[in-house]
Amino acid sequence: MPERLLEQFRQHDRRALARLLSMAAKGERIETLLTALGPSWHRSLVVAVTGSAGVGKSSLIGRLLAIVRGRGQSVAVLASDPESPLSGGALLGDRFRMPVRADDEGVFIRSLAAKPGHGAVAEHVDAMISLLQAFPFDIILLETVGAGQGDTEVRDLADVVVLLIQPETGDDLQWEKAGLLEVADIVVIHKADLPQAEQTEAQVRSMLTLGGDSSRPVLRVSSKTGEGVEALWEAIASCPRRKQTSTESKGDLLQRAQQALRDRFTRAQAQGDPQVQELLARWREGSLPEGEAIEGLFRLMARR
Amino acid sequence: MVTWLSHLVPDQRANRMSTNSAPIRVVLAKIGLDGHDRGIKVVARALRDAGMHVIYAGLWQTPEAVVRTVADEDADWLGLSLLSGAHLTLVPRVLKLLREAGLEDAGVLVGGIIPEGDIPQLLEMGVARVFGPGTALPDIVSFLREHTGARHA
Repeated sequence: MPERLLEQFRQHDRRALARLLSMAAKGERIETLLTALGPSWHRSLVVAVTGSAGVGKSSLIGRLLAIVRGRGQSVAVLASDPESPLSGGALLGDRFRMPVRADDEGVFIRSLAAKPGHGAVAEHVDAMISLLQAFPFDIILLETVGAGQGDTEVRDLADVVVLLIQPETGDDLQWEKAGLLEVADIVVIHKADLPQAEQTEAQVRSMLTLGGDSSRPVLRVSSKTGEGVEALWEAIASCPRRKQTSTESKGDLLQRAQQALRDRFTRAQAQGDPQVQELLARWREGSLPEGEAIEGLFRLMARR
Repeated sequence: MVTWLSHLVPDQRANRMSTNSAPIRVVLAKIGLDGHDRGIKVVARALRDAGMHVIYAGLWQTPEAVVRTVADEDADWLGLSLLSGAHLTLVPRVLKLLREAGLEDAGVLVGGIIPEGDIPQLLEMGVARVFGPGTALPDIVSFLREHTGARHA
C-alpha cells in the first residue's frame, strides 16, 4: 500500500498527498517514505501566519492565495484550529474563509486540529511540510491556532513569520508580555479599515524602536478592502529566510528524536503491543532492572 | 455542575480511546443557494463534541468545491444540508463527482428538508442515510461511528 501511494505521489496525485498527510498527522512513520522520495531539491517558501483568535488569519491567507496564484506559483495551506481537550473533537472552519476555484490544481488546503498544550500548530506539522515540499508546492502557508509564548515552535518551522495584530487589543505592554514581537519577522496591523489602526501602528513601531529594532516591517493591511495585501506579499517575498536547511535543522535533532520515541511508545501502548506490555510488566514487578528496561524499550522502539 | 462533569468526562474519554488517535473526519457543507445554516451548525457542534474532526465548508458551495474539499481533507464523510428543495439535482451531481474523483469510500449523508418520498431515491443513488428534522443528535454520532470504514480499523 505505501509503495502504491508513493508512486501516485510521485505522479502528483493529490489524493495520494491527502492520504499521506493523514498518515503523517497520525504520527505514522513517513520518514521512510520521505527517504524513498529522495532529498527534496525543491525549496518551498514556508510562511507562518500567527496572531490571536479572530484577528483575521484565515481571511488574510485567503487574500494571499489570490496573489500567489496570480503570480503563477503553487501554494499549500496547513490551517490549524484547536482540538477540544475534553472530547478530542475539533471544528475546523478555516478553509471556509479561503475562497478558491474548485478546479485550481495549484492550491491545496488542509485543516488540522492542534492538541491543547502542543504549541500553536498541530502535531507532526514538520512531516507534513516535508510532504508538501516534495510534492512540490512553491509556497506553504502555515496558519496557527493563536498566538502566544508557544509560537517559538512556528519560528523553527517557517522561513518567515507574519504576526497579525488588530486595533484596540490592549496597550503595547500586552504584546510585550506575550513575547510576540520577538517572534515576528513582519508585523501586520490587520483590519486597517478600523479607525484605531494608525494608533496601533504607532504603538507597535515605538515598541520595536524601544528594543533597538526599527528595521522590521510594520504594515497596515485590510483583508476586507484588500488594502496593503500586495505590499505584504512583497515584504514576505523579500524577507530574509530564517530557516537555512529545510525543516531538519541540526540543533533540534535530539528534540525530534525524543518526540519520535514518545510517539512510537504511545502508539505501541494504544495498540496493546505484547512485547511492550511484557517489558513494562516485568519492570513493574521488579524482575527487570530499570537500566535494562530502558535499553529494552529503545530496542523495541527502534523496530516500530 | 459536578454531576454534569463527572457524567460527561469519563464518557468522552472513552470515546476518544475508541477512535485510537485518528478521529473521524467529516466535511459539512451546504450546496446551492440555500442560506439556512442553523441545522448544519448544530450537527457540527454535536460531532465535534463526540470527538470528531469537523471541517466546516459553509454556505453556497458548488458540488465541485465540496468534492475538492473531501479529497484534500481526506475526509471519511461528507454531510450535505439542503433546505432548498434542490436535493434531487445537486446530490446526484456530488455523488457523480465523488465517483469520478475516486472518492467512493467517502460516505455521504444528507440532512435538511427532504420529502419522505424522495428519500428512497437518494438512498438508491448512493447516499448512506438521510437525517431529517427531529433526528436525535446521538443517532447521527452512532451512525457515523458504526459505519466509518476499514480505514479506521
